[in-house]
Amino acid sequence: MTREVTLTIDGKQVTVPAGTVIVDAARKAGIDIPVFCYHPKMEPVGMCRMCLVEVGRPMRDRATGEPILEEDGSPKIQFGPKLETACTVPVSEGMVVVGLSEKVQAARKDILEFLLTSHPLDCPICDKGGECPLQDLTMAYGPSESRFIYDEKMHLEKHVPLGDLIYLDRERCIQCARCIRFQDEIAGDAVLEFYHRGRHTDVITNSEPGFDSYWSGNTTDICPVGALTTADFRFGARPWELKNAASICTHCPVGCNLTYNTRREAKSGGNVVIKRAMPRQNEEVNELWICDKGRFAYHFAESEERLTQPLVRKNGELTPVDWDEALTLIASQFRNAGERLLTLVGGRLPNEDLFNLKQLTEGLGGKVALHTYMGGGEYVVRHGLSAGSNLGDLGAGDTVMVIASDLEEEAPLWYLRLKQAAERGAKLIVANPRPTKLERYAGEVVRYTYGQELSIFDDLKAKVAGATNLVIFFGSEGLGLAGSKALAAACADLFVSSGHENTKPNNGLVGVWPAANTQGAWELGFTAGADLGAASLLYIVAADPVSDDTAAAEAIQNADFTVVQDLFLSETAALADVVLPAQAQVEREGTFVSGERRLQRFYPIVTAPGQTRPDFDIAAAIGEKLDIELKGRFPSLVFPQICAQVPAFAGLTYQKLAEVHPQWPLVDRSDRYYGGTSYGNQQGLGVHLQAAEAREIPAAPTAPALPEAEIIAVPVTTLYDHGRMVAASPVLQPRLRKPFIRLHPADAQKLKTTDGMTVGLAVDGGPVAPVLVIEDPAVPQGFALVARSMGVPIHQPATFEIRIAETSMA
Amino acid sequence: MNKLAERYPEEIQAILAKYPPEHKRSAVMPLLYLAQREGGYVSKHDIADIAEICGITTSEVASLIGFYTLYHDEPAGKIRIQVCNDLPCALRGADDFLKELCDALGIQPGETTPDGLITVEAVMCLAACDKAPMFQTQTGEGLQYHENMTVEKTLALIESWREKEAAQ
Repeated sequence: MTREVTLTIDGKQVTVPAGTVIVDAARKAGIDIPVFCYHPKMEPVGMCRMCLVEVGRPMRDRATGEPILEEDGSPKIQFGPKLETACTVPVSEGMVVVGLSEKVQAARKDILEFLLTSHPLDCPICDKGGECPLQDLTMAYGPSESRFIYDEKMHLEKHVPLGDLIYLDRERCIQCARCIRFQDEIAGDAVLEFYHRGRHTDVITNSEPGFDSYWSGNTTDICPVGALTTADFRFGARPWELKNAASICTHCPVGCNLTYNTRREAKSGGNVVIKRAMPRQNEEVNELWICDKGRFAYHFAESEERLTQPLVRKNGELTPVDWDEALTLIASQFRNAGERLLTLVGGRLPNEDLFNLKQLTEGLGGKVALHTYMGGGEYVVRHGLSAGSNLGDLGAGDTVMVIASDLEEEAPLWYLRLKQAAERGAKLIVANPRPTKLERYAGEVVRYTYGQELSIFDDLKAKVAGATNLVIFFGSEGLGLAGSKALAAACADLFVSSGHENTKPNNGLVGVWPAANTQGAWELGFTAGADLGAASLLYIVAADPVSDDTAAAEAIQNADFTVVQDLFLSETAALADVVLPAQAQVEREGTFVSGERRLQRFYPIVTAPGQTRPDFDIAAAIGEKLDIELKGRFPSLVFPQICAQVPAFAGLTYQKLAEVHPQWPLVDRSDRYYGGTSYGNQQGLGVHLQAAEAREIPAAPTAPALPEAEIIAVPVTTLYDHGRMVAASPVLQPRLRKPFIRLHPADAQKLKTTDGMTVGLAVDGGPVAPVLVIEDPAVPQGFALVARSMGVPIHQPATFEIRIAETSMA
Repeated sequence: MNKLAERYPEEIQAILAKYPPEHKRSAVMPLLYLAQREGGYVSKHDIADIAEICGITTSEVASLIGFYTLYHDEPAGKIRIQVCNDLPCALRGADDFLKELCDALGIQPGETTPDGLITVEAVMCLAACDKAPMFQTQTGEGLQYHENMTVEKTLALIESWREKEAAQ
């Protein structure tokens, strides 16, 4: 238990833990001390001087050490000769802080006058205008006139692209260094720095490409002026025109809480459109941060290429039809389907949709399966995290292990959370065949060869021994479905055999899944690894197996009847007999289960295009034609059915998911203390699914052997892949890397390729695609890294062929 | 390819040996001097090489060049004449000295003579106010003070450098 300290701030008694700085103590008491450079998530620096206050401390007799008392018996307080920065001074017992005195008011006025000497005051055209701490604090504390001559203001560049995503306006910058400190302390990418000094101080980046970080968007949120703006939102809208709606990010299994800002605008045909994605505070999930993928990749929903009406194949061509015709055709084919029917779903579907699709399929006697390149869900369902878990609580005595995952590329926020856990004293073990960024913060790094994952578990057992709490993150680096499942089994065995149980908070397995609700699918009883070729009726929803696996195309062509339900005319949809247009996550409501088994609710943000319908509703409509009663219309009608059937969901309601409790730091928008743009959480923090009743661990599958070859292609994940949900964002386009094959220089030489060369790559006898050769000494010899979802179908370790002549001819 | 390490293998080892291996970043300042010894400035490539040697980002290296006035990231003359024209020096005629020197050389402060030998710069306090007008020269060899200067004495000095340069 930390020691408590009582002090007085502006006449109010406050008791806070020792070590708290004065601004935080004041905030807890509801007193605003204005700041610019201070940020509750970063080390204080005292640079901007906005938080100056008078600080007095009880006097003590130097000889005896006894407190000196006033005549009335109260302790005599000695104030310092100068004002002190409330953001750097920790509280002490009996301290008296005065922020309301004339001396302090005058200091604040002077600081603002200084800060504004070179500030352009272009608020009317500034993106931050309306939600700008400098604007707000000037109105509250500043002088209404400046004694400096307007014409002598320094004029600096106003449109400096720091990178493709972030612009800097040099004359608005007040040199608080929040962006620089964020990149250094929180993101671990020190790519922003000051350049020159005094009045010439500038923020620069020297990285290649500029501002090379997956976290760059966060600097625009915490910038207390309009100096940093995103390429996405700059000149996009005025803050007071924006409405906000709560959502959950759909790009990875972390489940970051988002606020989408929307506006109804003429230039979008009078429609409500998303203007920007912002983090929504959830200290147990994403704190105040989101990665750039979550911030900039939302544009896919507004793509012109969305499917907007049902299509049915007539004379070999997919032809638009009305819903009834499409549904009637499907019903005629699916009636009495029995075992011939296989429903294949993607992990980005919400729970309500997964549930309805499962009910429909099983009602018809068919089978459901999850399309995923990563398996092992059955182990996480049994040993995943449960109530009370919060990665933010991990610290000294706890152990976190990450195996076969490059977390920053696959689930960026977890990288931040585990980096912080390590910094708080938790033991971080990172096991991977090649170096990853998280290793910089790891206490132990374990290197193994691709395909030899299971051989290191004896060693790992010794390393996790004695952990108070144990969390194991496992991924799919270099693994296919069978390999990752075997890895999950080994992780589960390690977890249990080291004496841990997931009924205790912060103990469990976490799968670094490919999609936002893969965990939800496992919880609802879906399994992976279905053989498409064995079914003659295929119903494929939110999955594009053809793009990952060439065998899928053959299966669809051989099937009697295939229905594909998706947002886009994917490679899979192009082969279907019927294509149904679904709604994107931002167009409807529902729930996701994060990789940490936190059930979170999202809300409709924008209206859906054309005749699209949500997936759960389409399933219900097909059911209606086949006399299977399912709830359509509202997910809120489906959810209680899930809770009634699935034990992990027992007792949950939408209302419970929408509950909130006070979080620290306080970031309400009117808050002068926080001084950034952020959204508090009024729409729900989510609830953990219940720990499963102790059940046996399913027998561990045997790990598949690697193919025989001198160099083996292994799949890896990159954050900005070429999937439709990323590539459709115009802002992210310049950041998308070319498809690549990453090789050790010695292997590149063997293949007669060189760094930077474009070659044809065919994996496992599949189609030839052009890729860039990248030589990287960090890649283990004998393996070639090929990214998933980047134009080369690869779903497991495979043989490959390089064709040099073909592309040089093309 | 770390070209700096190829160019100065022994010097770099000697510099790194002065610091604990886990604090290699401390070697950044002497490495910056080393990098600009020959060309008089630190190139973009040098910045990347130093960042690699010290295990820090290129932005962090560039920031130091920006902060310290004796590091340069733009090429200039072989000899930099850095004239102090802060207030006490200006009271002793440094401003006029700077202007007349530049006029005589046919350049503006901050510019380089056409032969590429001399760059004249105005700088902040060099702690020799009582001996103004004064300047320091910065070359690959290091720094040298020239105090109680006149334009004539300076031009004669420059002429001697030119002759020395021509002789080489």
